[in-house]
Amino acid sequence: MSADPPIAGTQTQPGIASAEDGLVLLDGPDGIAVTMTAHAASETGKSLIEAAQRAEHWPEPDA
Amino acid sequence: MATGAKVAVYMKDNILFTDRFLKGRRGVHLALEERAILENAISEVRTIDARTTIVSAGQTLSNSTLLIDGFMCRYLDDKEGMRQLVAVQVPGDFVDLHAYPLRTLDHDVATLTAATVAIVPHRALDGINANKPELTRKLWFSTLLDAAIHRAWLFRLGRLDAVGRVAHFLSETNARLQPVGLSDGKRFAFGVTQNDIAEICGITNVHANRVLRQLREEGLCVFRSSLVDILDVKGLARRGQFSPDYLYIDAGPQHSSNESHSS
Repeated sequence: MSADPPIAGTQTQPGIASAEDGLVLLDGPDGIAVTMTAHAASETGKSLIEAAQRAEHWPEPDA
Repeated sequence: MATGAKVAVYMKDNILFTDRFLKGRRGVHLALEERAILENAISEVRTIDARTTIVSAGQTLSNSTLLIDGFMCRYLDDKEGMRQLVAVQVPGDFVDLHAYPLRTLDHDVATLTAATVAIVPHRALDGINANKPELTRKLWFSTLLDAAIHRAWLFRLGRLDAVGRVAHFLSETNARLQPVGLSDGKRFAFGVTQNDIAEICGITNVHANRVLRQLREEGLCVFRSSLVDILDVKGLARRGQFSPDYLYIDAGPQHSSNESHSS
């Protein structure tokens, strides 16, 4: 993982997800306020984790 | 629809239609002569039901609308018909003064609650523009104030989370209603729905419901039965990163009076 400081505007605090009326609410980081179905939230979560793993090992090895 | 009787009631109570226009704003106190000119520019007063669209995007306009009482909004619909409010207008606002130079608007204008409006024909504004440069500057100020509120709207949607957006909007509305005598500084009647709050803040109704509950549980604000009760004005402003500077509110001694004599 890079020790360089994040570029301006990059969020360093996680958003907070919660369940309400059978839906998932994502609050933050700042500027984010989204309501998703459980399926959409689950798929977004998977996508976020995969992207985070790639980012942690950046730069990616040549394919 | 406007009636002569409605006009008579207002005049009997000695309430001017323009009484709230620019009231308590910095550097734009209306002289008595200017107020008289504006009053005489009004061709008609109308009462309009809640949830009524009065201007559609692209429509050619020959009048502008001064909001006397009630709440109105400007909005855009996306391709799926989901509505995004892009402005909320409070009593005293010249809702579509920008239609005077533009002639058509790029958005719709509607009432949120029942409203009373004064209609000002553009030909009357032509006369003011030609002969009264200082009053014209004050009308210009009014549209620039709208622009400042739009900038804050962008900040709210672009930088804040859901709680912050609602906190910012309710703080702003409180600050706008105070100069026109419709808030005591922490409590005001606001006949909009939770769904309106959602469309204003770019969140879903479910999200708005959760946010309003959270604000109540944190002891910041209660929104219930068309009444907003701000329990902690500073705390709500802090949560919404709200500062009223962009509203150009006059903190001076003449704040309560919006009239001065022409020099």
